[in-house]
Order: sequence, then C-alpha cells, then structure tokens
Amino acid sequence: MKDNRWYALLIPVGLAVVMAPMILLAASGNGGGFDAVVHGIESRYHARATRIPFMALISGIAGLSTHGGVRGLHVATIENLEGPVDGAELNALVEQRVGRGWQRMIRETSRKGSDQTLIYVKPDGDRMGLLVVDLDGHEMDVVQVSVDPDHIDDDMGHFRHPHGRAKDQPDPDNATMAEKESE
Amino acid sequence: MSRNGVWAGLLALGIAAVVAVSVYAQDSLPAPSPIEKTLADRATHVTEVTLDKNMLAFAAKFMDKDKDGDKDKDDQAIKQMVQNLKGVYVRDYEFDKDHSYTAEELEGLRKYIQGSEWSPMVHERTKGAAEGTDVYLKLVDGQVQGLFVLDAEPRELALVLILGPVDMDKIGSLGGSFGIPKDAVKSVKKAQKEAGK
Repeated sequence: MKDNRWYALLIPVGLAVVMAPMILLAASGNGGGFDAVVHGIESRYHARATRIPFMALISGIAGLSTHGGVRGLHVATIENLEGPVDGAELNALVEQRVGRGWQRMIRETSRKGSDQTLIYVKPDGDRMGLLVVDLDGHEMDVVQVSVDPDHIDDDMGHFRHPHGRAKDQPDPDNATMAEKESE
Repeated sequence: MSRNGVWAGLLALGIAAVVAVSVYAQDSLPAPSPIEKTLADRATHVTEVTLDKNMLAFAAKFMDKDKDGDKDKDDQAIKQMVQNLKGVYVRDYEFDKDHSYTAEELEGLRKYIQGSEWSPMVHERTKGAAEGTDVYLKLVDGQVQGLFVLDAEPRELALVLILGPVDMDKIGSLGGSFGIPKDAVKSVKKAQKEAGK
C-alpha cells in the first residue's frame, strides 16, 4: 500500500522532469523564423508588409511541381521603406528575431544602406531552411523556403544542356587562369 | 578508491577536456576581429560569408551530380573536398578611396592564423603602400589542412580562410563559389607556381 503511494507520487514527478525541457524550450521563444523577423521589421521601420495571397496554395503547388524539392514558401514584401537602413541594426534585429538553429551564411551590405542582403540557413534533416532578407532601395523582401537539394538537383538536371561541357573541354574560368599563368 | 585516485581521475578528465576544447577551437572558424568592424564601417560594400562544416556538407549536395556515371571525375573530387572542409570564412571589403586601410590593420588580420601549424607561402608587398598578398598554409603531418589568403588591393581587401583538408590542385575551382573571390584564388595559384620554380 505504501509502495503504491510512492508510485502515485513518482509518476507525476517523473513526467514533470521529462516534460520540463520541452516546456522551457517552447516558452523560450522557439517560434522564430519568418513571422518573427517580419514582425520585427514592421515594428522597427513602422511599415506594413504585404503578404502574397494564397501563399499556402502556391507553396503546395511548388512542393508538388518540384517533387518536394521546395516547400514551406513564405514571402513578404515591404514597399516604400523610408530612410536609410543601418546594416548593423538590421543585422542585429534579424539575428535577435530569427530564433534558434538559424545560422547566418551570407551578409552583404552597402554603406549607404540602400542595399542589404542577409541569408540565413537552418539544417533540418535532409532539408535546408533558407531565410532571405533583401533590401533594394526602398523595397525589402523577406523569403523563407525549405529546400531538399537532392530533389532540386534532380529537377534542375532536366534543364541542363544535354551537350554540356565536355570532359576534355576546360572550364572557362580555369582556362582564363591557365592562360594567364602561361603568360 | 583512495582520495588521491579520485583527484588524479578528475585531473585527467580536466586535461582531456582542455585538449578536446583546444582541438575543437583550432578547427572552428574564428570569432570576428574588431578590425573587421572598423573596416566594414569604412567600406562602401561588404560581403561576409561564413560556412561551417554542416553547411558545407549540405552545400556540396547542390554541386553538380553525376547522373550518367561518366561525369568528369574532377567535379566529384571537388565535391568530395567541399564535403570534407571544416569551414569557409570570407570577408570582402570594397572602398571608394585608395588604401582605406592601414598596414597595422593588415598585420592585425594576419594574426588570425597565428600558430605553429601555419606556414607562410607568399608575402607579396608593394613598396610604399599598405597593400600586397599573403598566403598561409596550415600543414599537419605534411597535409594541407587549411588555407588563409589576405589580398589587399588599393580599393579592395579580401580575407579568405578555409579550414579542413584542401586539395591544392582543386582549389582553383572554388574561386567564385562560396563567396571566395577569384582574385584570392589566383593569388594562391600564382603562389603555387612561384613555389614550383
């Protein structure tokens, strides 16, 4: 009887111990990514993002047509962004909002602030999440997509030129280099 | 177990942890230098590319795949090299004025690769100007395990750090990929040619 009481206590305690990391993880704002970044940009620059209508449908069609190569497509456009954008500030904002697991792969920035590009990636099993924040003049685009390189490569392979570069034909870049070396 | 035995065990564990951390630190990409920030503030255009081992392994999947079994073996070798790399770190700064950086800043950037395993391959200097090219190789047991290029042109400064096993014959193929400037790769090819003389 006494043992049963211990079990009754141990089961909920054990469950709480097991669940605690998951609960903490959920509470720590794991929901970064596209929405968090777009909301952050909207509130910082007092702008309203235009989301493409029926994006879920478009994303579904993209997923089907690429055989799963591309899916989870999200696009938001912010037009008429006023004033120059500080590259460091934008970088910090996105870094803060993008959430766990995302790593910045590329950052391209101009001093005048009119051109900024940030590309983040997040490995997800066989797939890769890509998040692109691109500012061109007064227009900022935020795109998130999940890609499967194997399927994308399969699909792209159909569009490769059947008489592509022959084995013995040098790569144009390397050829130029070789020519320069021989000079 | 005696108390001395416990302490000896803890000490051994501590040493093992320090060694593991130092080995990991050697293979991991460096934290950005404060100099990079000052250069970025002055530059009109900055490109930063940071790829760790996982990203490189994934990026290699996008490289041309052999479907027919008869594709150039070189492409497969390049893909294999990229898959085995531990990191690629590229910084490219473009300026609107000549020599917008100092010799001290260049020296500070060279300190990225301080360590006994890094050997200078090329030191090219322009007299009277803070520009030139540096190529360093990380040699471990006679194998190239890293490449560092600092290419300082009058209006452009490029820093390329590649960690992991590098096939020097294939390195030319990486120019223009992963943000690696073609000029930096040309410097390496030139250095190889000079070394071969």
